[in-house]
Amino acid sequence: MKVLVTVKEVGEADDDFEIEGTDIASSDLEYDLNEWDDYAIEAAVQLAEAGIAEEVVAVTIGPERAEETIRMALAKGADRAVRVWDDAFEGTFADVSSKVDVFEAVVDEEEPELVLSGVQAADTAFGATGVALAERIGFDHAAVVNDLDLDADAGVANVHRELEGGIEELTEVDLPAVLTVQTGLNEPRYASLRGIRQAQRKEIAATDLADLGLTPADVESTLTLTEMYEPESDSDAELIEGDAGEAAGRLAEVLREKGVGA
Amino acid sequence: MEFEPSAEHRMIRDTVREFCESEIRPIAQEIEDDHRFPEEVFAALADLDVMGIPVSEAYGGLGGDQLMYALVTEELGRVSGGIGLSYAAHTSLGAKPIEAFGTEAQKEEWLRPLAEGDGIGAWALTEPGSGSDASGMETTAEYDPDADEYVLNGTKQFITNANVANSVLVKAVTDPDAGYDGISTFIVDPDDDGFEVVTVWEKMGLNCSPTCEIAFDDLRLPADRLLGEEGDGWEQTMSTLDGGRISIAALSVGLAQGAYEAAKEYAGEREQFGKPIAEFDAIRDKIVHMYRQIERARLLTHKAATRYDAGEPVTKASALAKLDASEAAREVAEEAVQTLGGYGYTTDFAPQRFYRDAKLMEIGEGTSEIQHVVLGRELGL
Repeated sequence: MKVLVTVKEVGEADDDFEIEGTDIASSDLEYDLNEWDDYAIEAAVQLAEAGIAEEVVAVTIGPERAEETIRMALAKGADRAVRVWDDAFEGTFADVSSKVDVFEAVVDEEEPELVLSGVQAADTAFGATGVALAERIGFDHAAVVNDLDLDADAGVANVHRELEGGIEELTEVDLPAVLTVQTGLNEPRYASLRGIRQAQRKEIAATDLADLGLTPADVESTLTLTEMYEPESDSDAELIEGDAGEAAGRLAEVLREKGVGA
Repeated sequence: MEFEPSAEHRMIRDTVREFCESEIRPIAQEIEDDHRFPEEVFAALADLDVMGIPVSEAYGGLGGDQLMYALVTEELGRVSGGIGLSYAAHTSLGAKPIEAFGTEAQKEEWLRPLAEGDGIGAWALTEPGSGSDASGMETTAEYDPDADEYVLNGTKQFITNANVANSVLVKAVTDPDAGYDGISTFIVDPDDDGFEVVTVWEKMGLNCSPTCEIAFDDLRLPADRLLGEEGDGWEQTMSTLDGGRISIAALSVGLAQGAYEAAKEYAGEREQFGKPIAEFDAIRDKIVHMYRQIERARLLTHKAATRYDAGEPVTKASALAKLDASEAAREVAEEAVQTLGGYGYTTDFAPQRFYRDAKLMEIGEGTSEIQHVVLGRELGL
């Protein structure tokens, strides 16, 4: 079975940062592999180690800088990577649909039986790419997966999904499938130093839209960023003192003032 | 001239840093307080392929270079001087000489377990009465031709890792009339009969890294435990220390970096007279000076490592890096304690630990005074 893992490089802002235009200044950003994609990589590598996955391919949409990040997926055990970038993406804000356009083309090319994707990206946090991709390519899917037991012979993924209110859904998903991965699925490994060294020699295929049979018009985004600003935040903390009875009384008063339980 | 490490080196450094932050930093003070050698940390480092970084892949190592080894040693020092010291002694002193001077059979038997992280390396040069002056060495290895064995007798002092080691490279006199040319190196197994750990020292710092006095009492060594030729011991020592000093320099840079970060963070948060103390000239200048010292020491260390990797002579560069970085570590750590004031003097905060640990860097693998001697000689004085 071939497993495709979608990964994203995300920028994390320093404590103090400047806003330049509609983005945080790149000098104030530290780029790293998106946390949830790290769980997805780990899940794929574990499938490979269990002899279930024959090949693990990581795919990302990102500029050349993103190679350092995607190489971390290779260091942790992915066999090869595809990095899609095109001038058409420069200076634009790709929406879910344009990303899915790209991943759909990659899926057509790679023909994976399982696509793993982080449940969300730490920067934009749409939480949509995985499920939207599943819809587009006609795969079954499960979102917010925090437990995975894959029965390759039966072609079924037994998964736990984390729902709101502490509820867990146990469900079966027929392969081929897209699973979006939530915290708790696994504990990602550190890349071994040998893995890092080997990753320097693994293939990262630089791919542009034409290579995928797409045109800039195909991936045109309906979203544009118009403004980036820091929301004003008041630090208005009240420390409630007194014994439990007094404190509870004051707390109830505050909650009532704020409209809770009205 | 390259001042930035390669992408591969950076990736390795960042991964080790992440490991150190998550796995070592939370226990760094506790293992110090308990005087505990953290075997589980070294097992985890072995899993990450850290234990044999500059050792050839042919013997289970990573096949990395001295710069990569220095970057990793710095990261360890940044969170725990003791772990960094045991690691540096294991690698530079315990493993590298076997790779450089051993036979194929010796490398298979003794180097491989060290490089793969199944065992910890050590070496033994210093004696109770012989430190900077190795000509006073009293440990002897007498050859017994009937048994084709050497008989080892003597005492070695301040031996890092000796009580947790898989092997100890012991310097001993095989020809008492030949001076420095009468010293040889032997691979000693702590399980050998006649090997005794006499003392595990209580120290000012670095207490999670065991420092031992060991004694040999008619310890019989098969002839194949001789490393290199008889009489090669001193020359091997000089070349081993050229590499080892780079790792002590890197460890020192790490200690300084750890202390600097603690001071900088504190100075940014601690408010007195209505503003963070970092905004007072006295503290700002202190922190800028720390940064300056660290940057200088790191450049010297990377330069020495880069020369080493290019196969160029490094005696001068490694002595200078070690001299400068160890002094920087002690001074930066002291100023970090000062920056934190009363808190800096408590064990709840890291600077005191860096301060204690840093002092040894000016002593081990050649004191600062000896580095001056080496440098003076290198400068033709």
